[in-house]
This record gives sequence, structure tokens and C-alpha cells, in this order.
Amino acid sequence: MTETLGKLRTDLGDRSAYDAASQCNRCGYCEQACPTYVVTGDEGKSARGRNQLVRLMLENKLKDPKSVQDALATCLLCGACTTVCYAHVPTADLVLEGRRALRASEPVPVLMKVLGELVERRPRLLAVLLKGANILKRLGVSRLASRTHVLRLLGMAGLEEAERHVEEAPLSFLGERLRRDPELAPSADARWAYFAPCGPNYLYPRVGEATTYVLKKTAGPGTFLDNPCCGLLFYNYGDLEAARRMARRNIENYEERADGLPVWGDCSSCVAHLKTYPQMFLDDAGWRARAEAFAKNVKDAAEMSSSAVPPPAPRAPTSDPRGCTYTYHDSCRARNGEGIVAQPRLLMKTMCGDGYRELPEAGWCCGGAGAFAFTQPELSDEILKRKIANIAKTQAQVVATSSTSCLIQIARGLKKYYSECRVVHVSELLADELRANRYGTPTRP
Amino acid sequence: MTSAASLRDLARTFGPKRLLTGEADLAAYSYDGALDRSSPDAVVLARSEGDVRRAVAWCAANGVPIVARGAGTNLSGGCIPLKGGVILSLARMTRILDVDTAAATACAEPGVVNLHLQEALERAGCFYAPDPASSKVCTLGGNIAENAGGPRCLKYGTTTNHVVAIEVVMPDGESARFSIDDEGPDMLGLMVGAEGTLGVVTRAWVKILPLPAQIATILVGFPSIESSIRCVSAIIAAGIVPRVLEALDKMTVESVEAYKPAGYPKAEAVLLIELDGVKGRVDEEAAVVERLCRRHGAQEYRRATDAAERERLWEGRRGAYAAVARIAPNVLVEDGVVPRGKLPEAYDRVRQIADAHQAKVAMLFHAGDGNLHPNIAFDERNAEETRRVKRAGFEILRACVELGGSLSGEHGIGSDKRAAMAWLFSPETIALFRRLKAAFDPQGLCNPEKVIPLPSEEDAARELRPARRPLTAAAQELAAKMRDAAATGARVLVAGAGTRHAAAAAPGDVILATTALKSIVELDRSNYTLTVEAGVEPKVLKAQLLDKGFHLPLPAAGGTLGGFLATKAWAGVRDHVLGMRVLLASGEHVDLGGKVVKNVSGYDVPKALIGSWGAFGVIVEVTLKLHAAPLSIPAEPPAPRPFTPDRWHRKLKSAFDPQNRLNAWVFGR
Repeated sequence: MTETLGKLRTDLGDRSAYDAASQCNRCGYCEQACPTYVVTGDEGKSARGRNQLVRLMLENKLKDPKSVQDALATCLLCGACTTVCYAHVPTADLVLEGRRALRASEPVPVLMKVLGELVERRPRLLAVLLKGANILKRLGVSRLASRTHVLRLLGMAGLEEAERHVEEAPLSFLGERLRRDPELAPSADARWAYFAPCGPNYLYPRVGEATTYVLKKTAGPGTFLDNPCCGLLFYNYGDLEAARRMARRNIENYEERADGLPVWGDCSSCVAHLKTYPQMFLDDAGWRARAEAFAKNVKDAAEMSSSAVPPPAPRAPTSDPRGCTYTYHDSCRARNGEGIVAQPRLLMKTMCGDGYRELPEAGWCCGGAGAFAFTQPELSDEILKRKIANIAKTQAQVVATSSTSCLIQIARGLKKYYSECRVVHVSELLADELRANRYGTPTRP
Repeated sequence: MTSAASLRDLARTFGPKRLLTGEADLAAYSYDGALDRSSPDAVVLARSEGDVRRAVAWCAANGVPIVARGAGTNLSGGCIPLKGGVILSLARMTRILDVDTAAATACAEPGVVNLHLQEALERAGCFYAPDPASSKVCTLGGNIAENAGGPRCLKYGTTTNHVVAIEVVMPDGESARFSIDDEGPDMLGLMVGAEGTLGVVTRAWVKILPLPAQIATILVGFPSIESSIRCVSAIIAAGIVPRVLEALDKMTVESVEAYKPAGYPKAEAVLLIELDGVKGRVDEEAAVVERLCRRHGAQEYRRATDAAERERLWEGRRGAYAAVARIAPNVLVEDGVVPRGKLPEAYDRVRQIADAHQAKVAMLFHAGDGNLHPNIAFDERNAEETRRVKRAGFEILRACVELGGSLSGEHGIGSDKRAAMAWLFSPETIALFRRLKAAFDPQGLCNPEKVIPLPSEEDAARELRPARRPLTAAAQELAAKMRDAAATGARVLVAGAGTRHAAAAAPGDVILATTALKSIVELDRSNYTLTVEAGVEPKVLKAQLLDKGFHLPLPAAGGTLGGFLATKAWAGVRDHVLGMRVLLASGEHVDLGGKVVKNVSGYDVPKALIGSWGAFGVIVEVTLKLHAAPLSIPAEPPAPRPFTPDRWHRKLKSAFDPQNRLNAWVFGR
């Protein structure tokens, strides 16, 4: 059973989902912002279409509410529509509400049940299993698995697809590494806290290491929150109560270990979710206040050029010392969810000098969008191709971004269509600068 | 309704990916930017002209209604499938096929987004003039169907002035190509703005213009709407045609400032003026505009000097709709148009109407061309409020009609203003529209129940129609002769001065000479329009008007004005004719178009009369656009040759004169 939020936080104040959906006056100005509409030309796969369909569901006007399944399942939740909408109608939130309402009558899929149990209650077992999988992957067993479709036979086709997307297989996870770091132990001197999102934790420990390195070098002593999952998985695909439980655990953990400190995270999907925790507690005054206190301290690594981490001194326009060309892809949740647009560009420009090129359609989703790449492989690939074509236009060798899903998806796309370029997290570039002591150095030979 | 069995037939043609029939799929095509909703039975996602042809032909063969749709941003219910049937989505026909700077044209498919065309042209140093507010999402095909305008059309004209040729799939599934270079009646002009009721455009060639060397953007505050509009008239009278002349009232400015402060003047009226052209000239014009603004009481005058500042001055105008859209879920955007000089009066009327219906209205005008957009925020879920707002909208349109204006400047009639058409046009004119529609679409399948009022709506509107100006004495004489001929079934030979063509009368022909139609009906000095009888000599008229300080955009031709138009002596005249009074073969007369420079109410029939060689009707009056500065107009053109009618011309003829009694020689005896 899945309940719905019922009430949403919108740009026009707290509104019932019905009021929020009705705020869409069908002007259609969102259409060209919606990647799935642009790719398909199908109104049902546009933001306006989804707003209207959710509204019809809420009005009980559909004979077969299940017929909206495809329209809702194909939404990337990128939020580009909300950014261009005059009234900022929260389409992604409405789509999630619609999906929850559809799920209400369905049993929870086995995969979600198992994954949910592991993420929420048995994270250590999850780590062991993932490590086992990574070892197998390194041994080449995954290729075997994919050839024999073992996962599909086990009813886990999605997992098989997911497995194929992931290129990296770390053998020690970020949490373990940071837990061992004495500099990040709980301390009264800490001036910041680090939140390890699942992506950096299980797939890209190098990203989390880069972020904590940068923070240590620029923002003084800090601490690792040793946190559980943010709960976005449950919020998007599972049930809300589980998402709330994860939120409460994270808030309590924060209050215990780092109350009042800024919390940095380095996966924009996760960070944007942390920032919207209050939406899950609109009718619970106590938790709402605690969620708001927490959310206002959450920071995205993509905004590290803000006052907390002073931007590096501009380098003379002699281009990058490595002679590289760089570009920046906006994670949708950073751009549309958190409104982070200027900060990473400032950072990129100061780091890369005239080696930085602005990416055409930088705010166009890469098609990763969490599980979207596995659940909608064809659409995802269409959207990805456009992204890679734009990256190729800049002739960049390095594209920086800020969320795990983009890292996975763009790495896959680059490998397939434009292998001259690699994708990194913006923290990694910044850490490189610091390690090479280039940070703030005015000129290079 | 379409039966499931026959839909399966269509599914074989298009396959499940391009033929949508699920409940949610259909619901997603049940609306556009207006309020109406109605679900189709199927949606075809067309990729090519062939797809369009197959879908239209299938619908024609099976008697299924079909509605073409681009981005669905229509504000008048134009793409709602009122009778179900098939929605033909052109949103995937998005290729720009050619940009030819030497020929100054671009060729594109109907699903190309207006802005995407602009971007492609900009790379070639050019632009496409029509710029509707929805340009970021709306499509070229939709723009052509609606004859879309935008702020720039004061100087450059609306879509109809910029489409040079189209390929169309006609309601019977046949392909046709219409161009401004075609001889005879202007089919292209009739198709543009027909709101998809006469066919589906599958490809268009449009005019492109070089980007101006300089643009000056000016923002001015005025103490009253009246003074701002007087200033607008003075600017036009000074021979300056700005590329943009937008007015915002206090309520609009206040709502913008409350949402996203743009630092607009706190004045009763604000004008946003933009001049473009060659460098020195723009500065000269800006100096004149500044002087005129100050003379008309401007409280605040700002001119942007760079691109960033231009953007800032535009912010308030761009944010105007956004600000209203945040007040309540829905916004009624009316689109009435009045002769420019009547704008202050129209403004007062709108305010009174809004007050009477407790509606909060924020006003925006394309002030230069008399097009007003009252924006009223409301919540469609509140039935009582929605009724009030709709009522107010209708009364605003009636006020526009009473002030000598029209129902729509650029949004179209669709289903929303269909009933109002009966206030604007006489029963004879509406009957002509019906015959035209039936001539091309006898089954009534192409976008049914749009543009033309339903008979019940027509009856209800009868008392609301303002009285028509009677025929002049000379025209009455012709009408009487025509009625007599109709009664006896005699053929009629329409003759002007015989300058361009002297057709021989056959025995028994009634000769109808227009040379007695000599009077100037109305010279509207503030609106820069002239209504004149068709028997005047263009050359004489031109000289008379020049004495009064007006430039007539016609060559100094001899013969009659009516003859000049009927023979299409100069094809360029199509861009200067705003309206016509025409005597039909029955002896009835119809008033077509109007005296406003921007008008998308009903079919653009005057275009079809230009080049009709008197075979459709007798032009008795013409309304023309005038100018304060001379235009580049060719000298007297050579005498034109009669055209050879094609099958589309024959369909037009059947709507006007099925018995071939008027100038029978044109279509062959």
C-alpha cells in the first residue's frame, strides 16, 4: 500500500495536489523544455499532458486510471518544466503523486521489497552483497550473467539492465574509508559535516573523497555523518512512510552529530531530496520544524563556489595547464530542484580559464534520471544522444557534473558515442586543483 | 464516432506507436490553451506529408472528422476535436528544409517551432517577422492556421504577409500547392488563417528578412491611457513605424512589480517602443519619438543603450502574462481589436465591463495596431466565477465590434468566439463562409464546428448585431440590377472602365458598370485607413490623398480601383487591403474583413476576390491601409492577362456563383 502526500510545497505556498495540478492553465510554454515531449512529439509525454492527466486522476474522471501509467512512468522528474512555468507548477511532484496513487492498488514489486529492506534495515548486508557483485563483475562474471540472463530469469530484468550500465566496481566503499579517517571523526571543532549519498558511497568513492578533501582544505575541520540512505529511493519508487522513516533517521543523526553545521553532499539528486524533507511533514508541526532546520543547512557540492568555500582566484586566460577543454552539464535536480546555475559555472571558469566552454542545452536532462535509464531504455537513449551530441559540439575532453545518475549515464553515453571525453564530478576537478596546488595560482608556465 | 473496426484499419497504416487510442492518450489531446475539452477517438503522430495524406484521405473515405494540431497552444479552442474523430499531430514534422538568403525565403515543415526557425535564421543573419508570445513552443503550422501576429507585426505584418507558398493536403486527401505567384484568385491568402478548416499545411515557404543593423528600445511612462495612445498616433503620423509599440496599464505594471520587480515607471500607462533599421536613421527616429513622448506628457523616458539594458526594459512586458498567471489558475486573454483612435474608449469600456462583472482585469495592448489583450485571472473550477469572466469576455468583444473593430487580432475564432462571429458579420456573409467551407470540405470533416457560428448561435445573436451601414445610392442601383438579373437568370457582365480588359458582352447579358461608384466613404485619419467606392481611379485617389498628407500604397494606375483589384494588376496589393464590400450574384451584399490592420475573424475572403476577374462578385467598396510616409510601390504595371481556372478556383466559384452568371467567360460558358 502506498499513500500519497496530498499536500505539496509549491512556489505559491502549500497547496493540495489538486490545487497544484489545477494551477496549470495549459498554456503549453513548458513543452519544449520537456525532453520526453521533444523526443516523442507526444502530448501525453509532455509536462502539460502529465499535469492534466494527474488532474483527471484526482478528479476521478478516468474510467481506467491505469491508462496514465505510461505518461507518468516516462517522466524524467527533471523539473525543467517547472523552471520555465510562470506559476512554477510542480509537475515532478504531481507525477510522483500520480504514481503513488497508481501503486496504491498494487503489491510492492519483489525487487523493490528486497532493495528496500536492504537499504533501510540491512545496509551492511547490502554492502556485502554489492561487494560480492563487484568482485564478480571484476572477474567477468557479470558478462556471463548478462549473456545467460540469470537476473532476468530471477525476475530482475531491471537489475540486469542496471548492472550493465555501471562501469565501476569499487571494492571498498566510501563509508568505510571515511569512518577510518581520524580527521573526520566527531569533534567539537567541526565546522561542516559531510553526508555520503549512496552513489558516491557504493559506486564512486573517489567523488566523496574528493569532496571531503576539498572541504578539509578550504573550510576547516569537519565531520562525517556516517549517514543512512537519504530515502529518495522510497520517495520515488517505494512508500512514503519508509521515506519519512529515512528522513527522520537522517535528521536525528544530524542533530546528534552536527546540529547547526552546514551539511555537504555530492549527489544532487540526493541533496535536492534532503532540501525538500519538509514537504513530507507539512502536517506534522514538530517534524516539519526539525526538517526545515535541517534542510536549510544542506549544501550541494555543486555550489562550492559559494561563501562557504571561497572561489579560487581567477587564473590568467592562458587556458588550462593540461591543455584540456572542459564543459559543465547541469544535474537536473541541482538546476531545477535547487536553482543552482551560476555557482558551478563560476567555479569552472575560474578553474579552467578559457578552456571552459558552455554546453549547449546544458540544462537538458541526460536521460539518467535515477532508474529511468533502466526502466525506459529507448527514451533514455534518445535523450542521451542529444546530450552527447551537445558535448561533442564543445569538443570537451572533460565534462563535469554533480550527480551520480548523470555520472553513470554520461559515462555510458561517452563510451558509446564520444569516447574522447570523460565525465567527472565537479568536486574531483576542484580536488585536483588543490592537490596540484594550482588553486589560486595566477599563472602557469 | 469512429468505430473500433475502422480504427483497426487506421492502425494497420500507422502501427501502434503512431496511432494512439488509449484513454489517457486521448485525454492528452482533448484540450489546448483555451477552456474547452473534447476527446478524439484516435491520435495520429504524422512524420511526413505522406502520413498526412493517408490520414486525411482515410478520414474523408470513412466520414471521420479530423483536426490538425501543432503544439496545441491555441487560445481559442482551435484544435479541440469537438466532434471526436482523429487528431492529426504534426509536432514531429520538425525539419527546416532550406534557408535561401538569396531568394529571401526559408522552407520548413509545419511542426517546426517558431523559435527554432528564428534561431536557424539568425545564424544566417536573418529573421522571420511573426513573433507570437508563445514563439518558444508554438509551431509554424499553427501560426499559419491562425495567421499569428506578435508585437513585431505592426511594422512587418502578420503571418499572411510572410508566407509565400504552402503545400497543403486538402480535405479530400489531395495535395495542392498555393503560392503568391499563382495567377487568379489568391488561394494561399484564403488558406492562411483558415484555422485548419480548409486543409492541412504540410510544408511552407516563408519570407525572411535581414536582421536590422540597429535596434533602439525605449520605455516611457504616461499620466493616462489617453495620452499614451495620442502619443502612439502622433508617432505613426510622423511617418515612423516602430517594430514594437506595446502599452501596459497600471494594473499590469503593478502585478509585474509585485511578482518580479522590473523597475517600470509608476504611471497610469507605460509604452514599450522599439525602433529598428539602419544606424543613423534609428537615432533620428528615436529623437523624434522622444520629442513626441515629452509633448504628450511623458513622465519618464528611458532608452536602452546596450543589449543587456534592452533585455531589462523588456522584462516587465515579458513578465506581464506570467504575473497574472500566478494570481489564479486560469487567465482569460481577450484579443479584441479596434481602430487605433478608439483605444482609449475601448479601454474605458473594458474597465466598466470588468467592474460590472467583478473581474480584475490587467490590460496589455499592441497599441500600434489597436489590438487589446485584457487579461482576467480566474479559477475554472469555480463555475460561477467562470461564467462571470466569460460573460465579461463576450461583452468586451461586443464593445470592440460596436467601436468598429473586430473579434480577434491574432488568436483566432476557434470554438471560443464562434458565436460572436454572428455579431460581427451579416447572415449573408456567414452564409458565404459556410458555402466556402462546404465547397472544399463538403462532408464538414476538417476541424468541424470552428470559425463559423452554428445556426442556433446565429439566431441568438441576431439582435446583438450593430446596424449595418447602408449601401450608397450608386451601389443600391447596382444591387437592384443584380437582383433583377438573378430573378430572370440573366448573365451579368461586370465592367469597370475597361482599361485592363474589355470583355465582349454576349446577347442577353446585363452589363453592370462600376464607374459610378465614386465616393470616399470614410477617411479615418487617426487609424490611417480609407474606405472608398471601387469605381474611383487609383491615380486620382492617390493624388487626392497625398494632398491630405496620406500615402496610398497603390501604383498610380488608371481605370477603376475595383478593376485593379479584380484583375490583380499588382500582386503586392494583397498586403494593403483590409476589407471589402462585395455584391454577390444573388444581389445580396457582404462585408468582408474590416478597417483594423490586424484581423483574423473569419476567412480572408478579400484575398480570394483579388484576381477573381469579377467572376465571384462585384467589389463595390474597398478598405485600404494608408501610410504617413511613402512606400516603395511599382509604377503602373502592365495590363494583366486573365487566368486559367484550376479545380480549386472552380470550387471557389461554386461557393460564389454556382450557375456561372457573373463574368461567365472567365470560367468558360
